[in-house]
Amino acid sequence: MAPFRLLELLILGAVLAGFAGLLLRRNLFLKVLSMDVIGSAVVALFVLVGARSGLRSPILSAAANAPAAAATAWADPIPQAVILTAIVIGLSIQALLLVVITRLSRIDPGLDLASFDTGGQR
Amino acid sequence: MLSFMPLLYAKATVIAWLLLPFLAAFLAAVLPPLARWLALFCCLATAAVAVAIQLGSLPVNVELLGAYGVALKTDAFAVPFLLLNALVCSAVVIDSWKRPLPGPFLLLLMVLHGGLSSAFVVMDLISLYVTLEVVGISAFLLILISRSDRSLWVALRYLLIGNTVMTLFLIGAALVYLERGSFRFEAVAGTTSIAALALLLVGLLMKSGLFLSGLWLPVTHAEAPAEVSALLSGVVVTAGIAPLLRLSCGVPALGPVITGIGLASAVLGLVFALADADAKRLLAWSTLSQMGLVALSPVAGGFYALSHGTAKAVLFLVARRFPGRALQGWRERPLPAGVWWPLCIGSLSIVGLPPLAGFAAKADLSGVLSLPLEVAVTLVSMGTAAVYARFWGAPLLRRTVPVVGLSSGGEAPEPAWSLGVILLVLALVVMGSATLPWTASPFSAVAKSALVLLGGWGLHTLVEGLRLPEKLRLPDLEGLSDLLGGIGVVGAGLLLILNR
Repeated sequence: MAPFRLLELLILGAVLAGFAGLLLRRNLFLKVLSMDVIGSAVVALFVLVGARSGLRSPILSAAANAPAAAATAWADPIPQAVILTAIVIGLSIQALLLVVITRLSRIDPGLDLASFDTGGQR
Repeated sequence: MLSFMPLLYAKATVIAWLLLPFLAAFLAAVLPPLARWLALFCCLATAAVAVAIQLGSLPVNVELLGAYGVALKTDAFAVPFLLLNALVCSAVVIDSWKRPLPGPFLLLLMVLHGGLSSAFVVMDLISLYVTLEVVGISAFLLILISRSDRSLWVALRYLLIGNTVMTLFLIGAALVYLERGSFRFEAVAGTTSIAALALLLVGLLMKSGLFLSGLWLPVTHAEAPAEVSALLSGVVVTAGIAPLLRLSCGVPALGPVITGIGLASAVLGLVFALADADAKRLLAWSTLSQMGLVALSPVAGGFYALSHGTAKAVLFLVARRFPGRALQGWRERPLPAGVWWPLCIGSLSIVGLPPLAGFAAKADLSGVLSLPLEVAVTLVSMGTAAVYARFWGAPLLRRTVPVVGLSSGGEAPEPAWSLGVILLVLALVVMGSATLPWTASPFSAVAKSALVLLGGWGLHTLVEGLRLPEKLRLPDLEGLSDLLGGIGVVGAGLLLILNR
């Protein structure tokens, strides 16, 4: 169980690093990149969750006989299937944000937060 | 064979209804002249499904693809949310019927409508994640539709924060799966992981615009074009609150936490709404406050969300025709009848005057709350009346003056009354009067609402007399770092509270 905990901790570290980057970076592009770091950490987490019962892909070949198949440590396919959807959504959001950032860079090529973020004022 | 045929048909109906908006959006991209009719048809389908659920002609549980598949729950809880979705979307379509719309507006509206309908009936965390992201992306594109520089920033902010919290939501979902081996809402009920609950809540609280997680809401809802604001404030916020209420039903540990956050949100939104000098921002802060009241009770929350969303959509739709957004000098600027009456009826409904839907919703809510909470809600309602009192008292423009100058092209002048607004106002009156006879102890309820209105007016004159809006320098909490910090604070606070 120890390697599982270690990997879990590493993922937690990546999430926190991403969140810290999101908070502390002044550049919009780096903020979006930090968001992607959190996203990647979540993908890793789901892969880890899927791999906790084994690493073999759960695909039965015709040659495999039943007792051997039962003894194999199969990976859990559900988290893997689920995270595929999340990866696609994450990618499309990333793309949309980058398009908007490209447009914003016409206003301030340095993409500094202060030139856009006026809080509640108009 | 025959016995499960009706069930099969019902399943097919539900699937067809959920798919319809997306197919219609695709068709609208190919055949733009049909877009308005298709959008209207989608809304009608949703309303029909809501009625069918209420009459019990659809099964409550729909399981797709077996035990590991998707579970939908088309139960009475979803009915008010579905009706709200149908009402607000169709009103926006009808309101903009005669105006030329920027390219993909209707297409996005249909996708948004479909995503919202799904969000109200799904019963597992991953489907919820997907539908909330669909809603988020289409709302983001709708905000961008005006293509101003300001809207670029506002939309970017919305999607950046939305996606961040939804990523945290996914971590929560993974932790639930790790423990229970399932993504269903029932699995959340059995989880012992505090971190999972806190992360799920962080996501849903942001989407429903509650307390510190909802600080993104005023700027976003105020800067979007009027139609989009109506959609955002009317229905999009309920996409977060409906699953939140479903979860709080199933997980007893969450009940008091959500109640506390709801009350805090109601007060926070109220104070900021009282101090704000901008009409659209006032409406948006009031949304934050009213969502807090919706979160107080899973039983009465649905109808409250329906009545609030309908009224708020009216207010945002007529906000397009306000003479100006500044509340300073509101009393001096006359409003045309097509704005004055909807503004009055919409705001009176939110305040809770008897023949309107808001009254029934407030009476429902009071009926299920404990005494201290009921008192708190009454006080908040009084504050709400003081907030909306700032809209009352503008003179009514008797004759219609033809507007010259702005639309110099060959465009037809805008009709004095918008059909979409009339539809919503009618809905408010009909819902209110239809539920009036079922109100528990109607006389005391009516007396209470009159008292609330009077108290609110008194509070309003007091606040105006002290010139509080100018003196009250509230902190500006709406920078991007404040929003992210707010999410962090809410997350950490939830961890602490749930750990007790």
